[in-house]
Amino acid sequence: MAYHTLLYGFAFLPLCLVLYQLTPQKHRWKVLLAFSWLFFYMISRKLLIYLIGASIITHYTGVRLELLRTEEEREKESAAGKKKKEIRLRYQKKGRQILALGILLLLGVLVYLKYYNFFVRNISNVLDLSVLPFTLPEKKLLLPVGISFYSLEAVGYMADVYWGKIRAEESLGKTALFLGFFPQIMEGPICRFTDTSDTLYAGKSLEWDNLSEGYIRIFWGLFKKLIIADRLAVLVNQIFDNYMEYSGAVVAAGAVAYTVQLYMEFSGCMDIVVGSGRVFGIRLPENFRQPFCARSASEFWRRWHISLGVWFKTYIFYPVSVSGLVKKWNQFGRKHAGKYLTRLVTSALALFPVWLCNGLWHGARWSYIFYGMYYFTLILAGMAVEPVRDRFLGVLHIHPDSFGWRNVQRIKTWIIIFTGELFFRADGLRAGLHMFRSIFDGFDIRKFWDGTLLGLGLGRADFAAVIVGCIVVAVIGSMNENGIITRIRKARASETAKWCVMYGLLFAVLFFAAYGDGYQAVDLIYAGF
Amino acid sequence: MKKIVKRGILFLLILILLLAGCSVWAEKTVNSKRGIVNGRSRAFAEISAEKENTLDVLVMGDSESFTSISPMELWKQKGIAAYDCGQSGQKIQETYYMLKTALKTQTPKLVLLEANLMFRNPGRIENLQTAISEAMLYHFPVLRYHNIWKTLLDGYSPDQDEYKGFRIRNDIKSYNGDENYMKETKDVRKISTFVDGYMKQIIDICRDRNIPLMLYSAPSPVNYNTAKHNAVQNYADKHGLPYLDLNYKTKELGINWKEDSYDRGDHLNVFGAEKVTAYMSKYLSENYDLPDHRGEEAYKEWDRLAEMYRQEFLAVKGK
Repeated sequence: MAYHTLLYGFAFLPLCLVLYQLTPQKHRWKVLLAFSWLFFYMISRKLLIYLIGASIITHYTGVRLELLRTEEEREKESAAGKKKKEIRLRYQKKGRQILALGILLLLGVLVYLKYYNFFVRNISNVLDLSVLPFTLPEKKLLLPVGISFYSLEAVGYMADVYWGKIRAEESLGKTALFLGFFPQIMEGPICRFTDTSDTLYAGKSLEWDNLSEGYIRIFWGLFKKLIIADRLAVLVNQIFDNYMEYSGAVVAAGAVAYTVQLYMEFSGCMDIVVGSGRVFGIRLPENFRQPFCARSASEFWRRWHISLGVWFKTYIFYPVSVSGLVKKWNQFGRKHAGKYLTRLVTSALALFPVWLCNGLWHGARWSYIFYGMYYFTLILAGMAVEPVRDRFLGVLHIHPDSFGWRNVQRIKTWIIIFTGELFFRADGLRAGLHMFRSIFDGFDIRKFWDGTLLGLGLGRADFAAVIVGCIVVAVIGSMNENGIITRIRKARASETAKWCVMYGLLFAVLFFAAYGDGYQAVDLIYAGF
Repeated sequence: MKKIVKRGILFLLILILLLAGCSVWAEKTVNSKRGIVNGRSRAFAEISAEKENTLDVLVMGDSESFTSISPMELWKQKGIAAYDCGQSGQKIQETYYMLKTALKTQTPKLVLLEANLMFRNPGRIENLQTAISEAMLYHFPVLRYHNIWKTLLDGYSPDQDEYKGFRIRNDIKSYNGDENYMKETKDVRKISTFVDGYMKQIIDICRDRNIPLMLYSAPSPVNYNTAKHNAVQNYADKHGLPYLDLNYKTKELGINWKEDSYDRGDHLNVFGAEKVTAYMSKYLSENYDLPDHRGEEAYKEWDRLAEMYRQEFLAVKGK
């Protein structure tokens, strides 16, 4: 039961809303927890035990860390001067051990379930090469839904308690709800405790404004997913599953189509997620901010899957940046290597683990690791050429914010994104490299309009729906980028206008969505990561 | 809270009204432009577009149904006006709504249900999803036919390629397995409670309208076995329904598995269907009160269609 299904929209969510409202305010979070676990159970059945286990580990690690802090404060109060530092160091060590244990347990399960077979396969390949007479057997491991999302949330929560940024939640049930809240369990966003805790447990009564705006958001998500993404899935699958048959412009079209499909699908799902939270008055953080307006690869990642980027920045980039190794390099670099190189190497040291983890997080495949390294290289290269670029612009008297230069940068970023997604979707790194090379094999731009694309499973009407849908999304996106949507919201749109938008979106989905005859339901892509 | 309930109800009411209005338009369009609907929904569109009160036998079920009974052969033999309303992999929810759709315009004298679909059980959640979606598609046909805007844009061919739900499939792929596939066993395949629930509703609809409901099984060594037979027989006995299992009559029918299947014993081709239909025409006319409509003014189209069918059949037979 994914978010775009009838069962979710017409039975699960309404039933949860009704029961939520009928329950006394202070117990409403329990209804949300019960529905969250039911949702999880309906998808992953008895693997629910993993989520419950993760909740228990996270909760008690948090509680233990909190307790430690209280003890530390008490001891510090009665101690004097020098001793205080000693106490702090002792408790810091203890805290670090507890945090490490918690993280180890959570990430241990994630790594075991998600990466065991990958490692075994690669170790076996190495052993094969070295002609050693044994192989490691692969295991049939079932992955609970959302494990990659809730594990990161759990680690973030424990680290925040350890750093003293938040106080540990006292109720186990509430911690469990934070990790397992049903709208975000399948595809995120990866929330930080402070993002949701105030509204998640408040048990606010249902309000018409929340309901109507939440549902507008849900319908908008369905519009993107069902009208655009699911249609493009037909063409994308045809090209990527039979990549040996295609080359040149068709492969390029496949890369562009997949990028658009992924964006419409993932951001559409996020609209449904944010809308599903909104109907209860719960605010979930945004995961996308018009990523195709980005002028560089690094800006793209600040606008695309924002919550993952924020998580890596907070829990990997910053800790690595202030680690002993980086500090030592900084000292050494400033003396011997100059400002430019020191900064570049410092960035590389902190960015490398971020992008390695980003690639690996998406799955246990070399092509994902390549995907991470692809962005690492490009972002670093972007930093490296910055001074040269600035000088070049200066010489030619081009203002960095001029309309023309902005668009040159955007087009460059699009090419980077499309290429990245080509490798991301391809069936393995070898297939990705083959497809990339084949783009330059007899590239003929006329194939975009000479009817070739009509032979890939989509008819004229389908293309018309995709193009019109994309134009609508682009217009709304640009209104969002320029703050027009916010202004409309602040001006409190009239009730009639809201109803028109609701009916308009709903009927657009009902009439033009890719469901029924000739279409297969398409599973959520990111739910598989 | 009152505000929410009031507005919620108003929103739903307007939605229902809009959907109902669009549904009237969609049904009219579908009935006036035959061939505009493609894919699974085509069976619904075609049965809805049949002339009112002209069908006496409705054949329902999955692909085993519309590959085993040829309405044109029934017409040729006994002048029985039958229609195949089966769909590939038809689910019981679809059967239920297909029957209700057909009964909006038809008053049949017999409903024949091929029993293989009683064993289709994709799981609780899938069943629930299908139940919700089929109910919506039935009550708001605009949702079922929502893709017609595509055919209007891409173009469509109104040519008749079906003979009252039957298509001539003349490929031959032999079944070379054991011809004595209905082995003696006491095993009984489970019929899910979901299927049971919908079957009861189908039985009730037929009883309320005094339409006899008969279960049958088409010959299929790949799909059928004794455990399934036992389950259907028990079910039929429990609910007082007649059940005819043709898997036990393949010799009597004259089925030759070397040439009567188009996919190695899963389904019958037109030659196998002719044999089954010849037997069924006799069986039905002996056991049910089904009028012979041949030569009647209202059934002129049937005679024309039967002639087309004969020509096409002779052409493929001669190949």
